[in-house]
Amino acid sequence: MDARNFTFLFYGFLAAWLILIVYVVVIAARESKLRNEIERLRRMVEEREAK
Amino acid sequence: MRNPILYLFAAVAAVLLAWDLYQVFMILPDELNQGMIYRIIYFHVPAAMVAFAAFFASLVASAGYLTTKEMRYDSFSASAIEVGFVFATVNLVTGSIWGRIIWGIWWTWDARLTSMFVCWLLYAAYLLLRRAIDEPAQRARLSAVLSIFAFTDVVIVWKSIEWWRTQHPGPVLSIRGGGGMAPGMQAPLYWNALALALLATILLVLRMRQEAARREIDSLRRQAYAL
Amino acid sequence: MKFLRLTLLIASKDLRSEFRTKETLNASLSFALAILVLFSFAFDPDSDMIRQIAGGLLWMVFAFSSALILNRGFAREVPNDCLDTLIASPVSGAQLFLGKTVANYVLLLLVEAVSLPVFGVFYNANWARRIGLLALVFILAAWALAVMGTMFSALTVNLRLRELMLPALLYPALVPALMAAIQLTNLLIAGDTVGKEDQIWFRLLAGFDAIFTLLGLALAETVFVG
Repeated sequence: MDARNFTFLFYGFLAAWLILIVYVVVIAARESKLRNEIERLRRMVEEREAK
Repeated sequence: MRNPILYLFAAVAAVLLAWDLYQVFMILPDELNQGMIYRIIYFHVPAAMVAFAAFFASLVASAGYLTTKEMRYDSFSASAIEVGFVFATVNLVTGSIWGRIIWGIWWTWDARLTSMFVCWLLYAAYLLLRRAIDEPAQRARLSAVLSIFAFTDVVIVWKSIEWWRTQHPGPVLSIRGGGGMAPGMQAPLYWNALALALLATILLVLRMRQEAARREIDSLRRQAYAL
Repeated sequence: MKFLRLTLLIASKDLRSEFRTKETLNASLSFALAILVLFSFAFDPDSDMIRQIAGGLLWMVFAFSSALILNRGFAREVPNDCLDTLIASPVSGAQLFLGKTVANYVLLLLVEAVSLPVFGVFYNANWARRIGLLALVFILAAWALAVMGTMFSALTVNLRLRELMLPALLYPALVPALMAAIQLTNLLIAGDTVGKEDQIWFRLLAGFDAIFTLLGLALAETVFVG
């Protein structure tokens, strides 16, 4: 019982941190996507203005 | 993240979490009936507190948006719900793992668990709704209304352990008049709640910047089409 | 007084156009009957079983068949820009919302009134033993369905994914009301009394109705106009 108790406690803390880490990764991925999009649009606007 | 205050928050949160882990695992004894597994409460309850605080903040910001029509309230509301949703997920998952040991089952349909799951579904629906609307003002308006509607379920979750006889333990914290937990065992829980709240604040600020970036993308798109 | 008059005007307009074609009512009723028949294959309907599943079965039927009615409530106003005209008319957002809710409510009650006897016949259930309280449950819970459904169909009426978003929003939001309705219906169809322990469900239903009616009335204007 106690050994199982301990493993599940470990799973619990692991799961909690994993969820938070996954969210941070999602945010970071979205950040770079948004940055690229802004860059792309800025260049597009500049090109069109130059014409 | 260039903001020094965010670094300060992160440092304080890290120190608090490390100190708490040390307290919880090294200092505190096992609980009499539950043994080791009770330590899950140090994540389970603070995660719920942070999630509900975030949902409440979103409720206030939604009301703010509907009265002022300022887009930053909408960004705040959306970011708070997304961060709160993550912490609600942590709450559900840790609770389920605890239940597997104590009850022998992963899930049971009592009032607390059901209402919390419904809460999770409602805020998932909120995030879905935002994706389904393209026009920013319409998206802000409708999601603000949904945020106000969804919060009523948070109240039900919070009160459910008093209204019904649930399998889920009743109030144990003395701030809710439960008084089932020794004060020395409660203190690390509050510190953990503070640490997770700081973490949530950092995530919230990062997420709000992305909303600002999205608004910039929208205006750049309009500019590009106009040219 | 004027508030109620315009509200009833909207409700009667909706009901009149519905009763002339009967398209949603027919669709919803035949859907309800189809589910009732299908469930009789899924369960062996003896009296013990009925005790346990009556409430769940009936409210599942009502919840799903009501989605058809609720979806149409506002979708009907989209062609020819009828919704914009209604918003531009002297009818306020709250009146429009309440009128639509009343119309949906009447249709839902009709579906329930037809489905319940059919359920009794198909499943050999004696549902009339505590008909007074059962009627109260139906009246309260149908209002919960109508008020939430109307609000969310107003929210989703202008979306691309209208038919998909409505159930995703509506069913989770309805769970507290449906839970209460299911528990009470189970008790009452089994012929039991509602003890002290179970009165919480009546309070939950009544509270749900009151809170969401008020919220709906307060927010209707923002949902329609902005």
